[in-house]
Amino acid sequence: MICLSVILGFYNEYKAEKTVQALRQSVSLKAVVTRDGKPSEIDAKLVVPGDVVTVYVGDVVSADMRIVLCRELQINESVLTGESFPVEKTLDALNLQQPTPQQLTNYLFMGTVVQHGSGRGVVISTGGHTEFGSISTSLAESRPETEFQRGVRKYGTMLITLTLALVIGIFVLNTVVGHPIIGSLLFSLAVAVGLVPELMPAIVTISLSQGARVMAKKKVVVKRLVSIEDFGNMDALCTDKTGTLTSGKIVLKDYSSLSEVRESRILQYALLCNSAVTGEKITGNLMDVAIWEYAIANSVQEEIKSYAFVDEVPFDYQRRMMSTVVRKDDDLTLITKGAPESVLSRCKYAELTEKIEAIDSVQKLTDAKLTEYSGAGYRSLAIAYRKIDAKTSYSAEDESNLTLLGFLIFTDSPKEDAQQAVAELTRMGVDVKILTGDNELVAVKICEELKIPVKRVIRGSDLTQMSSNEIRTAVEETTIFARITPEQKLDIIKSLRANGHVVGFMGDGVNDAPALHEADVGISVDSAVDVSKGAADIVLLEKDLSVLADGIEEGRKIFGNTIKYILMGTSSNFGNMFSAAAASIFLPFLPMLPMQILFMNLLYDVSNMTLPSDNVDEEYTKWPRRWDIGFVRKFTLFFGPFSSLYDFLTYGIMLFIFGASASVFQSGWFVESFWTEVLVIFVIRTRRIPFIRSRPGKWLTVLTLSAVAFGTILPFTILGRFLGFTSLPVNYWALLILMVATYLLLVDAGKVFFYKICKF
Amino acid sequence: MVPYPDLMGFWAVCISWSALFLTTVSIYLYIDSRKNRKQDTQATTKLRFVKDFVFVWVLLGLLGLYIVSINRGSSILFASGNLVVEALLIVYTVKNRPPKALGTDEGDSYSPQLK
Repeated sequence: MICLSVILGFYNEYKAEKTVQALRQSVSLKAVVTRDGKPSEIDAKLVVPGDVVTVYVGDVVSADMRIVLCRELQINESVLTGESFPVEKTLDALNLQQPTPQQLTNYLFMGTVVQHGSGRGVVISTGGHTEFGSISTSLAESRPETEFQRGVRKYGTMLITLTLALVIGIFVLNTVVGHPIIGSLLFSLAVAVGLVPELMPAIVTISLSQGARVMAKKKVVVKRLVSIEDFGNMDALCTDKTGTLTSGKIVLKDYSSLSEVRESRILQYALLCNSAVTGEKITGNLMDVAIWEYAIANSVQEEIKSYAFVDEVPFDYQRRMMSTVVRKDDDLTLITKGAPESVLSRCKYAELTEKIEAIDSVQKLTDAKLTEYSGAGYRSLAIAYRKIDAKTSYSAEDESNLTLLGFLIFTDSPKEDAQQAVAELTRMGVDVKILTGDNELVAVKICEELKIPVKRVIRGSDLTQMSSNEIRTAVEETTIFARITPEQKLDIIKSLRANGHVVGFMGDGVNDAPALHEADVGISVDSAVDVSKGAADIVLLEKDLSVLADGIEEGRKIFGNTIKYILMGTSSNFGNMFSAAAASIFLPFLPMLPMQILFMNLLYDVSNMTLPSDNVDEEYTKWPRRWDIGFVRKFTLFFGPFSSLYDFLTYGIMLFIFGASASVFQSGWFVESFWTEVLVIFVIRTRRIPFIRSRPGKWLTVLTLSAVAFGTILPFTILGRFLGFTSLPVNYWALLILMVATYLLLVDAGKVFFYKICKF
Repeated sequence: MVPYPDLMGFWAVCISWSALFLTTVSIYLYIDSRKNRKQDTQATTKLRFVKDFVFVWVLLGLLGLYIVSINRGSSILFASGNLVVEALLIVYTVKNRPPKALGTDEGDSYSPQLK
């Protein structure tokens, strides 16, 4: 059983690890390095401090470097900071005390992506010494014990204590009453084996493997099998925002004129004044790409066909805008698109519904609109135009006396199924918290869209002012943690765990990796960076977030079946072994031979092999459960004596009604003990009325009843004779049936009482 | 005269002990739950000592039946007693379940337990 457990566990984890390795190998980075004045492309692993590295659009930065040449560099740092919008870089020196990566605008960080422009930097640190690398290094530390592992350890301690006490007691008492020492020792050891639920590793591994297979069908890779149970028991899910709840992609959310009208010309002009390269795939500036994608999705791109392109004044960082000149019929129009404050400063008029106003008269209105957009966490661009005369070329000087037409609003929108997934998690008793490097306005907006009630928002800068006790209190009542560093994410996870929560963390960036490593369940997504996938226990291969609820339900079923085995095994074994111990003292012979005890134990375990496939009552998967050793102890103390009582009753029947010899006694008790031990599964596996309101799994029923049949005929077989059994009196069978029926009904009545007073 | 008469006393002590142990555990759990309920003001479940302990009364009755029937060596008394008790237990079990028994017996409401 132990070998089977080890092989199954190894096989599953190996397969999952292989999947992630394959994903990792699909990425190979290169860097353009200038050495001895000659630029050459080398493997990014070979870059060393002091190298001068040039980066271009689309490059993944290969090391941490100080920028020495900057040509309109925009970097996507979401892997480090979680922020979706690209960061503009500069050459300027900064005077900051303990700056965060977000503040270092004159640095390039390993793992980030060049979104726009080009630049050059001197490598300061590489590998494990980079911001990216320090995160990876922290992952090398051993994982903290998860809730499930802690529960198993506590259970093991309880079991060892119980077994040692009983075994030593039996051995001493048997020796004292004059039984042979060797016989007493063997009997004590057999009782010890009888008490230990040795099938538990196999049951757990089979359950987890089945769960992993179910999850795999839903395109979810379970890298660490034990995490499935914690997945089910999870009551707090901390999630990064970008790329997990949101698509991690900038989209055009809406466009609007000053008079709140969705003037179609705004979108047409945005398409006409656009630097994106369109073809099979749209590439270029993220916002320009978003405008095109919106237009294509809404089939409005055809509307600009009546315009002819004349000239372009490209974007630059001083003006923070771009312009194009287009012709329709005989009219030439200059269209300008750019940062609102830059465009507004060049506007003389503003277009409202069918009238043109002076820009100064609508300043309050424009200010209010821009405040509203930034307050809602949106990014915006302004669109303006003017009629212009034909000439040979146009320049930035023509961007004057413009008429403001309206604004384009951009956002990183939630994934389509995110709202439903969050609602499902809440229904299942999982508290969702957002941990993001992005700003709080964006996070609040996302919560509004996902209908997550925001109890409290805490910024990273607030967290640094708090003591660890204050953080432990704050994490309970806070929904959004914004502008936080990877270390702070780690602190939040640790605080929640210290408060007794089973914590899941879902993230996709390098900045999420330490938190993924620390959480009871680390969940990563398809689009995540390798480090994040490597640190995760569970990887969602598809963007569908609804599998989270499926995974939780699966975890709860597995936990339910594992707990069933523990509760049934511990209580019935405890009862049987306790009565065996008592009988061994007062009987002139052993109540059951050591080999008979071991055989019964084996047969019982075999009957339990299909327990992982058992049905779990619906109510059991509604809320997160928890390993509660106190509950297991109470259960054992309460249900164990039922089994002992009926064992003693069997002794009485065998001795005083049938005047049984040693072998008849042992055979009679074997059959009774086995029947009660195995059949009680059907009563204890549910809190409902067995069979009527809760049907056991098909295979559990078949195997259990087969085991009972085998145990019944065993005394009549050659194997039975070999084990020392003999035929039983016919009347005994009639009494046995009555007795076992009463036992099962009594346990069921006890169950009603027990669950009324003991919560689990 | 029953076989093994010298073991009868020891056997009666053992079976009585296990029944009394179970009764004691039940009372302990009952008192423990009442204590916890006092701390949890939201819990409104009423536990009735006589009704909720039916299985204990049945158990003690069974103990008497088992000791008497086995002391007399009477299989008939043993069998008929069992049948009566089984009928009682079936009635008790069916009557004491919530109408749509989802296992959410009154005391089974979820309460997050922080350690």
